[in-house]
Amino acid sequence: MTDRSVAASVLSPEPGALPIRPIAPAPCTVACPAGVNVKAYVSLIAERRLTEALAVIRRRCPLPSVCGRVCHAPCEAACVRTDHDAPLAIRALKRFVADAAPVVAPRPAPDRDQRVAVIGSGPAGITAAYDLRLLGYHVTVFEAEDDSGGMLRHGIASYRLPPDVLDAELEVLWQTGIELRTGHRIASYDQLEGLLREGYDAVLLAVGAQRGRRVGIPGEDTLAGVEDALAFLRRVNDGDRTPVNGRVLVIGGGSTAIEAARTAVRLGASSVEVLYRRSKREMPAGIEEVKGAAAEGIEFRFLLSPVRAVGQHGRVAGIECLEVRLGKPDANGRPRPVPIPGTEHVVPADLVLAAVGQEVDLDMIPDSLATGMIADDRLRADHKSLMTRMWGVFGAGDAVTGPATVIEAIAAGHRAAESIRGYLERGFPHRPTPGPAALVERELPDPPPARSPRIEPGTAPLRAGAEFAEVEQPYDVDAALAEAARCLRCGPCEECVVCAPGCDRRHLLISDARAPWVLRVPSGFATGLPGLPAGTLPLRVELHERRCRGCGLCVDVCPFDAFSLDDPERADSRVLLDETRCRGCGLCVPVCPTAALEVTGMSREWWQRRLDEIFAEHESVGQVTLTCTGCAGPDDRADVIRFRCVGQVDAGMLLELWRRGAGTVAVGGCGDTGCRFGPGAVLAGEQVAIARTMLRMFGADAERITVDPGARAPVLTGRGEGG
Amino acid sequence: MVDVTALRRQTGVQLCLDCGKCSALCPLAGFDGFSAAGVVTIRDDGARLARLAVPVQRCLTCGYCELRCPQGVHFTDFVMGLRAGLSDDLAAPCPHGQVLQTAARLEIDAAGSRDLSWLDDDLAVAEKGEIALFVGCLPLFDALFESTLGVRTLDIARAAIRALNGLGIEPVLVAEERCCGHDLLWSGDRDGFVAHAEANAASFRERGVERILTTCAECCRTWRLDYPDAVPEYRPKVEHIVEFLDERLGTGDLHFGTEPEEAVVTYQDPCRLGRQLGVVEAPRHLLDSLPGVDLVEMSRCGWEAACCGTAGFLHCDADSRRLQAERLGEAGATGAETLLTACPKCLVHFACAQAEDRRRGRSSPPIEVQDFTVFTAARLAAATSPEARERTETLT
Repeated sequence: MTDRSVAASVLSPEPGALPIRPIAPAPCTVACPAGVNVKAYVSLIAERRLTEALAVIRRRCPLPSVCGRVCHAPCEAACVRTDHDAPLAIRALKRFVADAAPVVAPRPAPDRDQRVAVIGSGPAGITAAYDLRLLGYHVTVFEAEDDSGGMLRHGIASYRLPPDVLDAELEVLWQTGIELRTGHRIASYDQLEGLLREGYDAVLLAVGAQRGRRVGIPGEDTLAGVEDALAFLRRVNDGDRTPVNGRVLVIGGGSTAIEAARTAVRLGASSVEVLYRRSKREMPAGIEEVKGAAAEGIEFRFLLSPVRAVGQHGRVAGIECLEVRLGKPDANGRPRPVPIPGTEHVVPADLVLAAVGQEVDLDMIPDSLATGMIADDRLRADHKSLMTRMWGVFGAGDAVTGPATVIEAIAAGHRAAESIRGYLERGFPHRPTPGPAALVERELPDPPPARSPRIEPGTAPLRAGAEFAEVEQPYDVDAALAEAARCLRCGPCEECVVCAPGCDRRHLLISDARAPWVLRVPSGFATGLPGLPAGTLPLRVELHERRCRGCGLCVDVCPFDAFSLDDPERADSRVLLDETRCRGCGLCVPVCPTAALEVTGMSREWWQRRLDEIFAEHESVGQVTLTCTGCAGPDDRADVIRFRCVGQVDAGMLLELWRRGAGTVAVGGCGDTGCRFGPGAVLAGEQVAIARTMLRMFGADAERITVDPGARAPVLTGRGEGG
Repeated sequence: MVDVTALRRQTGVQLCLDCGKCSALCPLAGFDGFSAAGVVTIRDDGARLARLAVPVQRCLTCGYCELRCPQGVHFTDFVMGLRAGLSDDLAAPCPHGQVLQTAARLEIDAAGSRDLSWLDDDLAVAEKGEIALFVGCLPLFDALFESTLGVRTLDIARAAIRALNGLGIEPVLVAEERCCGHDLLWSGDRDGFVAHAEANAASFRERGVERILTTCAECCRTWRLDYPDAVPEYRPKVEHIVEFLDERLGTGDLHFGTEPEEAVVTYQDPCRLGRQLGVVEAPRHLLDSLPGVDLVEMSRCGWEAACCGTAGFLHCDADSRRLQAERLGEAGATGAETLLTACPKCLVHFACAQAEDRRRGRSSPPIEVQDFTVFTAARLAAATSPEARERTETLT
């Protein structure tokens, strides 16, 4: 049995280190398509650690100011408080911290040789470009328009997402060294292929779904005053403030319809109505947007289906509609509108804005390739590797999925970057296997918290002279803290690693190639986690209370503050051990004068057995090496004894080795600065000094105990592993 | 394995009346269920010994119980014998990583010569002769405790030699000295103890030593009471240095400095010196004769002196701490500035308790613990009379 097997830890790349995997993340975190650690940042806001909160967000969402204003917030729908009082206003909290906290821009990794072309500077393209740039790849973003942002800039009304906010957000990303080429449309297949010939090692098509779909009714194309809502929004966002006169009718029920409607109000329309062919319940637009629209005087007409546009003198005068009722659900699960015959009537309008969906512009794909590259009017990409039929060309975002939300596009951008990176490293598409499904059981704590209302962010009413000013107002600090304080922090540690940079116990965290952040838990948790083999010993220290004298030396030496004195004033106080903090390093074992402490699995009996093993065959052994599990070297040599930390070694053990017949004793270790437990190597050095002093007193050769606290355990078999 | 029936007979335990006086005096009685009367019921080395292993090991072996036992039971010797019957898994490890006990055993195996470089240049020692100073484990204690407690136990040996030199004596220092084996004996390792006794007897005898002085109460007891059974062929006269100095006081050979150094002191009778060897008056004579020194006794003194909490370095726990705190409190209550003790273990244990108080910010009586020999030797004048020297040579 090797020393390593004494404390098995299956989840860990390092013996005895137990990473926490997010086995039960909070529902909000699970709900976020981009994997933002929602619980972490809300909790940090509650603690007023705003810079850290923003850093957590930015790990998975490179556009926090944007999402904080426009995200449809599936996290809120998943919030456990939803059925209790009201979900946390997570989006508003994100907006608050995005506006309030300074951005700490990460530095890209050292430059790699490979180059990636990203076509489209919408959220999917930006996210992929950012991820790849941070990995060190050279990234060029080709944007057809003169300004970047895709739908963020053109498809979202500026009272919702002010352009200067978007500019500032994007600037942070460009500053990492992404090359942005605006006004550069990749319009043809030749140009697309040309990128690959030019030397780009991979291309990402993230062109979105930016074309408004036609309603498909007569008169739509022939009558003036019938416009695509997206085109309308685009020109208004570009600065066109031509007033709108008369009555405006918006066809559609999504965000675009609402934004177009509210924009029309701002441009002076005398009335604005939204026409939707299903009922209010089925409207895709968010409740807040609809409420905001109603507050601005917009009226809604439900269960009306447009039949045709009617007009006079080439100009639209209204839309003929049929009343409908809701029938059976369609393929998407939404009730099919069934026309009621004989209910035709005209809804008058001077301007009709059609907001009935978006399409992908795939003009660049020639017909000859259409079969492979296009499916259902969308770009076709392998759902695992995201590569299209063109080798080295990937697709992500709305272009592949059809119109979706900003955060889904961001999530797609992450996946695209990961796929491209895998492709660039291996030379062939990377098809990742999905990880285990997270357990998401979420209940309110028992007893449940007191009900408290959701603190809504304020809204600024529409006012003349500043029609396009931002409507939703940010929280002030107190409101943000109060709302964040409602968070119940569901679930255990989610390895958000916010603790890392400030952690002065560097031995709690390892960054290694296999697992970028390995958070070691106090080993008391080890036996409680699922998936560990039966009989796994927790690596911690056992306190034999009976022997404790309350001297408190363990309190002083423990790097993890696992000990405390139960009643320091009393002469016969004893020490208390917090097993959740104990890491089993054993530094306390030699300092305890009364032998009240032992490392589980590395007890005195274990020590005696190891000595028996070593000295059983031979009366004298050349060298016995004492080292730790952090040092390299073979495990299966009998004359190497591994402790969790060499700080567990005491002078008595050294003398005992000698007594048993060791020629020399080498004490290795991780050194003063490398020790995972802080002072381990130093303490071992002190014990060696004591042992040597005693040996000198007997007239024995003290130099036969050697200490090498800087070097890892010596290379004993010539296998060449040297730490 | 131990023949408990025979042990009971040898130590008089079979005469126990179950009167409970031992428990009434025992400093550990009732703490964590310790019961002297309970230990006495052990009749064999089977299940009951196993069940009572913890009390058997916790016993301080201070001998307080023996003071009042109407049947004269030698309880401490009984415990010593029982400990030999405890199997390895029941035996508790000794404190401080057992380094002292391991070092003692290692010395036997290593069979080298001790390093005597701790001897100051002005100290005179001899290679052969009649009178030897048994240094014991003082150098080992220095290695462990000088840096942590500020206690320099080798100063005790130096002071003893200086005092003896002042009396015209150059004591033999045996470089092949080993630990006396006290802790091995009291932890149940009889064989280990005998190995030490034999080694020491051989080395001292070889040097022609017939009289052994020691500064340690435990070494003194061990040489005087326990060595005779182990090495019956070697019977030197064994004395604690306080006994020797007291004798010299009686013969008028001790001269103290005429500049009285005022000091108010109290005195801790070590268990092994006071109760177990009966050396109670000698240190008091000496203190009386020191000019300027005022001895104020603690409430429990002499035969009834309270144990410092730990015998040797055998066992330590919260009770030891409690006893040390109580005793230091008692010492402080005398108003003395200095607590003197004639055993380096008492010295170390009290110093340890005081160091802990400092570390934990607890209030602690402001009394300084000092070794008796160091204190006394510092006050002895260097002068010796020719008569004194003559008298030394005729002593056997």
